[in-house]
Amino acid sequence: MSDSSQLSVSGLTHSFGDRRVLDDVTFDVRPGRLTGFVGANGAGKTTTMRSIVGVLKPDAGTVTFGGEPLSLAVRRRIGYMPEERGLYPKMKVHEQLVFLGRVLGVDRDVAATRATALLKDFGLGDRADDVLHTLSLGNQQRVQVAAALIHEPRILVLDEPFSGLDPIAMDTMAARLQESAAQGVPVLFSSHQLELVEKLCDDLVLINRGAVVAAGDAAALQEERAGRRYRVQVAAAPEWTPAGAGFEVASRDARGVLVDLDETADTQDLLAQAQRAGAVEHFGRVVPTLAELFQEVAR
Amino acid sequence: MTEPTAPQRGALVRVIAGREISVKLHDKGFIASTIVFLVVIVAAVAIPALIGGGTPEYRVGVAPGAEQVVDAAAGLGALPADERPPGVPEAQVDSVPVEEPQAALESDDSLTAVVSVDGDQATIYGRDGVPEELRALITTAGAQATIARVSGEAGLTDAQLDGLLAPPVPDVVLTDPGPDHAVPPELLVLVFGFLFYFAVLTFGMSIAQSVVEEKQSRVVELLVAAVPMRWMLAGKVAGNTVLAIAQVALIVGAGLVGAALTGSSDVVSQALGASGWFLAFFLGGFLMLACLWAVAGSLASRIEDLQSTTLYMQLAVMIPFFSAIFITDDGWLQRVLSYFPLTAPLLMPARMLHGNAAPWEPWAALAIVLATAVVLIGVGARLYSGSVLNTSKRTSLVAAWRAGSGA
Repeated sequence: MSDSSQLSVSGLTHSFGDRRVLDDVTFDVRPGRLTGFVGANGAGKTTTMRSIVGVLKPDAGTVTFGGEPLSLAVRRRIGYMPEERGLYPKMKVHEQLVFLGRVLGVDRDVAATRATALLKDFGLGDRADDVLHTLSLGNQQRVQVAAALIHEPRILVLDEPFSGLDPIAMDTMAARLQESAAQGVPVLFSSHQLELVEKLCDDLVLINRGAVVAAGDAAALQEERAGRRYRVQVAAAPEWTPAGAGFEVASRDARGVLVDLDETADTQDLLAQAQRAGAVEHFGRVVPTLAELFQEVAR
Repeated sequence: MTEPTAPQRGALVRVIAGREISVKLHDKGFIASTIVFLVVIVAAVAIPALIGGGTPEYRVGVAPGAEQVVDAAAGLGALPADERPPGVPEAQVDSVPVEEPQAALESDDSLTAVVSVDGDQATIYGRDGVPEELRALITTAGAQATIARVSGEAGLTDAQLDGLLAPPVPDVVLTDPGPDHAVPPELLVLVFGFLFYFAVLTFGMSIAQSVVEEKQSRVVELLVAAVPMRWMLAGKVAGNTVLAIAQVALIVGAGLVGAALTGSSDVVSQALGASGWFLAFFLGGFLMLACLWAVAGSLASRIEDLQSTTLYMQLAVMIPFFSAIFITDDGWLQRVLSYFPLTAPLLMPARMLHGNAAPWEPWAALAIVLATAVVLIGVGARLYSGSVLNTSKRTSLVAAWRAGSGA
């Protein structure tokens, strides 16, 4: 997939009154990949997403798609799921999806077929003719997802798409996102469910207090942030402790001992010491989980 | 994957207007109010016709000797309108022979009155009164009988007698004739004015509510970036205008059909003939005011806020309404106001009705009204875009205008 479908955010800066909520936010959402957008409440995720889709006009910064600023025609092909959700409460589910599709330029028949398929996909096939507000919140949420997909978007921007979904709907949602990504759609979604993000995402954007603190390939980011902590397991000697000024034992459990190395310490020295104590069953650099990363940046 | 395309304005406006209409037609309140109005209109037309409309009918007791006068009166009342002498009303007089007037009135409740004649002197016996029409007919018939008798004694020929009985009616020549009306033009202006502002006030509120709906339900976040707000507001205005016109046409149609069925066809033809410009201005003026209400809706974040944002709009409608009714003199004020967008929809057709406006004038006023509508849609779209993210409170005009600069 070429970069012609890359969504790029560059230098987004915005203030509400005196409060700066976005400060030079810059990152890419690459086509064909799921990009997780992670940050604490109030970190600026929703404001960033609103700036991308054009609901909010930021004080400064640009959003481009394939290198071009987003035209109205491109904005109409964004599948957007707003944080506050939003559908017509008194309209029937299927009718509503068809209306939104038509407003976004889809033919009536095509929209009707897609709406039926999407509702079936999300297990709402039998609720098509029900008025929206008679559905449970979780089911309304599924309709909201369907609304974001009704016009076969070229870009997906989803604010907390997984919140309020049951595990089955979450799987459907995840499959849908991966399907879209596989078709070359850049997918950006925010979530507080970090395990899920870790499992699903190819790329990560971590934002804190309006500034991007890390962005890029998820695995590379974790590697980069790993520091110099090693887990060493010597089966015959659970009480083994490395000797030397550069080594400090952080903790010890059944899976071995966690050792922090300072800049002067040599990993090969650590391995050699362990081998002298007995057979080494595990020796490896500890990569932080997303939750740990998040804790670190949000502090 | 299909290429992104720019929105088709016409299609977009149609889709949005279609939703407005569909929602409204599923709204029980709207259906109910329409039915209530139809019932009221039909009742208003039918009940007076049932009670008092049509030709009055009288059963008249005829005492011996009064036959000639009563028969003549019945003949006069049955004459076609264009042959009836001036001052002689239309009525159906059925005669019933009786012996003694007062006894007959007491014994037969169906009798309206009893007539007896003694020489040239006719006497009408009634209970608590005698209908005006009957009195006029008997008076004329009695006078004609006297004239016939006296002229017979004087030896006049039949032709001379006819001349006496049916003197030529004076021709009326007007040097500055106004249009011919079965209904006074002022009344027509009042009726159209009332219908107009009734439609504007009811549908205006519903347009404002519909504009707020997207904000309150937050659908606006899905739409605001992808749909030009100008066209969305235009769609809402168009949908509600179609419904308003249809509802008013239904109500007026029911009234006119009712009037035609109950024999007031001259009123119908006058109303239809005079209503051309009223209808054109009704449409134009409604569109313009609908846009004004869309602006009011744009300023509110929730339905509850509409009360305050629409207050000024209601004033902006009521004041011109009353000025249009009270300023009836063909002076400079009426002339100026017939071009002012808010008052033009009533005053310009009123001037046309009175024959006070040149043929090009309504076109100019209509153009002004429609241009105002376009400007208002633009203003509404900008205010709407500027207040989209403000979900908590009513947006100030200035703040919304500034924030909406991109719209």
